[in-house]
Amino acid sequence: MNLKSPLPDPRADALLAVRCQLGERGAFDDLIARWHEPLWRYLRRLSNNDDAARDLAQDTWLRVFRGIARLREPAKLRPWLFGVARNVAMDRLRAHYTAGPQADVDLEELPATDDVNLEEEFATLEAGLANLPIVERETLTLFYLRELSLEEIAGLVSVPVGTVKSRLFRARQMLRRVMEGLES
Amino acid sequence: MNAQNESMADSMTMVQQLARGELSVKARLGYVALLLVSTAMTVGLLSLWLTEAFLPLRAHLAFGVMSLIGIAWAALSIWALATRRVLFARDRLIAGRMSVAFTALFLAGAIVAVFISGNAAALGAAATGAVMFAIALRVLTGARRRYMELAMLRAELESQLAH
Repeated sequence: MNLKSPLPDPRADALLAVRCQLGERGAFDDLIARWHEPLWRYLRRLSNNDDAARDLAQDTWLRVFRGIARLREPAKLRPWLFGVARNVAMDRLRAHYTAGPQADVDLEELPATDDVNLEEEFATLEAGLANLPIVERETLTLFYLRELSLEEIAGLVSVPVGTVKSRLFRARQMLRRVMEGLES
Repeated sequence: MNAQNESMADSMTMVQQLARGELSVKARLGYVALLLVSTAMTVGLLSLWLTEAFLPLRAHLAFGVMSLIGIAWAALSIWALATRRVLFARDRLIAGRMSVAFTALFLAGAIVAVFISGNAAALGAAATGAVMFAIALRVLTGARRRYMELAMLRAELESQLAH
């Protein structure tokens, strides 16, 4: 299964970031149109839940609107956006565990699959991803959606590139085992 | 998959609505105006308070409370501009021009008051007004530089992408 799409020109992202920093209202519409779906899908995979992904996406965009003026390197828009999304998700996760089992958003223990009609291969992959631990799920999501390179993922999660590679290797093996189990 | 796509589309609509409120230029510049007015008010009050030699206790209290109110409004607008309504380059340019115009007016008023009354309060207000005007000029210069940098970067990127 090939989920990889061609990487967008990083200069196009840099231009988008600069237009936002200038304060062009239309640039924010373009930013949302370009990046909402990848961010939402990333957050959806982290949370395994549509409602949680929607809330997390809103918080992410709020932080993006308030923080993009201070983005020092417009060329790094992509890892910055995913970094913001990741921080929002981790804050929510931390708040959930601090609050205890009564918290309204349960990122880890929500149902792993949806009762919708998925295309067969994609459904298996989605379910397989949902059954992985969060670290491996995140690494695979970031890498295989082709939104981030190994170096960008390393910067985002604050680990060396070698660690990202080993996580990716481990995640592939785990995903293979999970998918074999699902298919059988 | 369709349900997920629908959920994603709903989420995008909500984010677009959020953007409309969050990116309002009026709200940003409103906080800039609030900052300018509250700062000018506080400077005027403090100049009067600190230069009046003999004031009854209740006048001291009144000046203190009014100055605190002015400082609180200024602090609120600084906090809002730093965290909630962050200024983009274009907004900073407008805010810089507003600051220069407002502080120039304040300084001119204080200078006129010095010539007419010659009292110490007017002198204090004029001195503080001059400092505020210098700061406003600096803010405007910085905002212009930042705007030009970004505009040039934008033109360069557009030219690279066109080829």
